[in-house]
Parts: sequence; structure tokens; C-alpha cells
Amino acid sequence: MFPTLFAITTNTLREAVRDRVLYNLILFVLLITGSAIFLGELTAGQEARVIVDLGLSASLVFGTFISIFVGVSLVWKEIEKKTVYSIFSKPVGRGQFIVGKYLGLCATLLVNVAVMGLGISLAELYVGGTQYIVPAWGAIFLIFLELTITTAVAIVFSSFSTPALSALLTFFIFLIGHFSSSLRELAQSLGSQGAIVFFNVVYYLLPNLAHFSFIANTANGDVMPLSLLANCLLYAAVFDGVLLAVAVLIFSRRNFK
Amino acid sequence: MSSQPARGTVVPVAVIAVCFALSVLLSQQIDATKPALPESYGDKDLQLNGSRLKGYVLGTESLVADWYYMRSLQYVGNKLLTKSGFINIEDLRDLNARLLYPYLDNATDLDPRFIAAYSYGSLVLPAIDQEKAIAITKKGIANNPNEWRLYQYLGYIYWHAKDYEKAAEYYERGSRVAGAPPFMRMMAGAMKTQGGSRDTARKIFAQMLADNGSDESVAATAKLKLMELDWLDQRDAINGVLAGTKATAGQCPADLRQVMPQLRGVKLPSGDFEINKTGQLVDPSGAPYLVDQQKCEVTLDPKRTAIPHSAGN
Repeated sequence: MFPTLFAITTNTLREAVRDRVLYNLILFVLLITGSAIFLGELTAGQEARVIVDLGLSASLVFGTFISIFVGVSLVWKEIEKKTVYSIFSKPVGRGQFIVGKYLGLCATLLVNVAVMGLGISLAELYVGGTQYIVPAWGAIFLIFLELTITTAVAIVFSSFSTPALSALLTFFIFLIGHFSSSLRELAQSLGSQGAIVFFNVVYYLLPNLAHFSFIANTANGDVMPLSLLANCLLYAAVFDGVLLAVAVLIFSRRNFK
Repeated sequence: MSSQPARGTVVPVAVIAVCFALSVLLSQQIDATKPALPESYGDKDLQLNGSRLKGYVLGTESLVADWYYMRSLQYVGNKLLTKSGFINIEDLRDLNARLLYPYLDNATDLDPRFIAAYSYGSLVLPAIDQEKAIAITKKGIANNPNEWRLYQYLGYIYWHAKDYEKAAEYYERGSRVAGAPPFMRMMAGAMKTQGGSRDTARKIFAQMLADNGSDESVAATAKLKLMELDWLDQRDAINGVLAGTKATAGQCPADLRQVMPQLRGVKLPSGDFEINKTGQLVDPSGAPYLVDQQKCEVTLDPKRTAIPHSAGN
């Protein structure tokens, strides 16, 4: 079971590299280098803080785009090119296929955020903001956890829908995931019982991606508590598990004969 | 045969170059012909309220706060650059920088622990709007009660407003915060006994400079204020010597070099007078002093000095 899973994972990673997914790092490096050089004049001594904010926000945005646009085409591409038939003619389970694809993209994202984290650390060293380096790695790890959930959502949608629709739906989940607590507060301030129930259901049913936001804390030099890290890790693992199970369930029922 | 591929490259490259050059020219032409918008257009009220944005910017609140903070720096900077005539940094109401507070308010709504934004507001806003300066600093204290510097800034704002009782109160409260330097308690006492003295002012700005070396906006303001205080001390000493010389010689000295022997004997709080390579007496920013022959008083050279000054010096 594991050798098969490993093979699909490594092949997905190789495919992402071949598709030049990691080229976004060039843009990121340019952004961070430019910020490190030019922000000094614009921020009156706050360039270290702005670099960490900009770097972490860019990591989140770039990573989310990759997880959505690559994630929705992972399964669809195999079906469209009909390579899925040759894969399933071998002893490969549908669950292994979905999980392997998912882990492959997660590995790609891990490489991506790790290089971005390194870029932020080097830029901070350059501008003398060493106090932000350790907190930034905590925030980078939470961003990676958030991306694993976004990827899982993308795979769920792509297991039964077209890439365009899947991308749109995944983006909506990403937005709602960040707004859910604000929407719940809004519903409570409106006072409508129906709205309160509806937004409470949304709050608990969909992943609350705001849990993974640690950028503002990092900008204030907070080091992430280990308990928060552990809880976020568990939360992401639980949601990833649920979403992958749903994806496998849907994909298993698809007819490829 | 071989010229065919070369032509295939040259033509598109030439088209790109020509079209790009044309687009640059056209862009300049459009800029030149577009009617200018009234000044108030750039000063229109902010459409978004920071507290309402919170939770809707996908976890990038801190980055948006940075943007508002940088906008506030550029906003005041642009106003200062476009202002003609003398700039009195003690009173910047002429700048009509009414958006400074909303920018800083938004920045600190999005990141309530953004100390640099509070610091900037508490140092620049007193010259624009005293009430707003107090509001932003009190907001900072409410959000960061353990940040003694904010009490120091609020003490400074009240001192600036000549409300020495309130200034003493906030220096005292700040001195009770863990990690506050002994200077805070000392200042609380100084406010009560000699609030309006130049020596007290010097202590305030020297401490701000020492504590905020990394915060450029605070350090730059403190340096300017210290230079201004040194200038005031030097002005008093030089004018005293000029008046004495005029009384004995019957006329005002044409050049300050003539009174240098008397000035060497004067003790200043910041040390001795400075002289440049050509032997001229210079102000704390290094610009040579001028002598107003009519009043027989020393003045700053408005074209060369970096010291903040008003039209009447």
C-alpha cells in the first residue's frame, strides 16, 4: 500500500515541478528583495515589520492560488488525458490515488512555503529584524496547514466537477473559511435567530481558516505557543481527514469503464 | 534563405519597440491634457473603516495596517513637500492634514498593538490636532497598558499643551509600568515643579532619542527638537553678547567673529559653540548664523538651516 502511495506522491511532486509551479518563487524572491531594499525609505524604521507582513501574506496568497489551481486539475487532468485508465489497470486503489495526489501537492506546497520562509528570514537578517525570524517560521507552518485544507477542498470538488467550477467553489470555501467567525458575530449582532443558527452551522461545518492566521502576532514579535501549534495541527489533520474521506467516497463511485 | 528567420525576429521586435515608445509618449500626452483634480479630491474621506475591515482581509490585517501607516507617513510628507514658505513644526494646522488621524486610527484598529503608529501619531498630531493626538495615544494605552512609552508620549502631549498636571499624572502612571526607566518618575516630578522650563524639554527629547533609536520617525523628531533647544540657548547667549557689545561700542558687530572671544566664555547646557572651517559660528545643524543688523540679533539662515523655525525665527 505505502510504496504505491509513495510512488503517486513523488510523481505528483515531479509533475508539479515539471509544470513550473515553483516558478512563483522567483516572483516572491523579487518581491522580498525589492521590499528589503526599498522599504527603508517608506516605513520610517518599520521595514522589518513590513517585510514579515508582506512575506507571510504573499506566502498565503501564492500558496492558496497554487493549491486551488493545481489542486482542481490534479484528478481532472488524469481523467481528461485518460491516464487514469492505465493507473487503475494496475493494483492501485481509488483511495490511494486521491491520497497520493493530495500528498504530492502538499509536498509541493511544503517546498514552496519553506523556500518562502527562508527568503523572509534572509530579508530580515539583511534589514536587522532578527526578532521576527523565529515567529515567522511558526506563522509559515500555520500557513502550510491552511494550504493543506484548501488543497483537500479543491480535491473534493475536482473529484466530481469541472476545474473551473471547482476553482470557484474552492475559492468560496477559502473566503467563507476566513470570514466565518466575522459572519457569526454579524449574525449575533443582527439578532435574528435563523441567522444565528445558520451561521453557527456554517462556522462548525466549514473549516475555520482564521485559526491559522498568525501574521499579525508575528508582526508584533509573538512566538507561537506550542499548544496553539498542536491544536492547529490536530484541527488541520481532522479536517483533511474528513475532506479526503469525502473525496475518496465520491471518486470511488465514479465509473471509469 | 538565412535572412528569413532574422526578418521574422526583427519585425516583431521593431513593432514592439515602436509601439512601446508610442505608448510612453501617449501616456505623457494624456497626463498633460487631463484636467487637474481639485486638491480636496486627494483629501477625500477614507471609504473604509479599519474596525469594519477586520476579519474580512483574509488574515492580512497586519499588512493592511502597514499600508495605512505608510500612507500616513507619505500623506504628511507630501503635504510638507508641497507647502511653500516657512514651516513651523510646532503648529502644522496650515497643512490641513485632516486625514492623518483616520489613517492612524485605521492602522491601529487593524493592529491594536502597532506601537510605531501610535508613536508617530503622538508626536506629529499635537501640532495638527491636540484632541486627536490625545485620542490616538489613549487608544494605544488602552490596547497596550504595559507599554510605558505610550504614557511617555501622552505626558509629552500634555506637556506640549502646557497642562503640566496631566503630564505629571501620565509620567507617574507610566513609571509604575514594569520595565519603565527611572526617568519617568523623575519627569513626573519635573513636570510639577518646572514643567515649562527648557531643561525639562531637553530631558524629554533626550530620553525619547535614547529610547527610540530604532523608530526613525520618533528619533528624527527628537533630534530636531533637541537642535531647536540648543539653538534657543545659543540665541539667548549670542544676543546677550551682541547687546553688550553694542552698548559699549555704540554699534552692532557686522560679523559674529568679532564677538567670539566673549562667546568662548559662555557655558551652554549642550557644550561649546561650534565653528566651521572658515571660522564662522554655526547653528546646531551646521549652517552659519546671520546677524540682523537692525535688531542687532542673531538669526538662522532660512535657506541653509535644518532647524525648525517660524517666519520670525
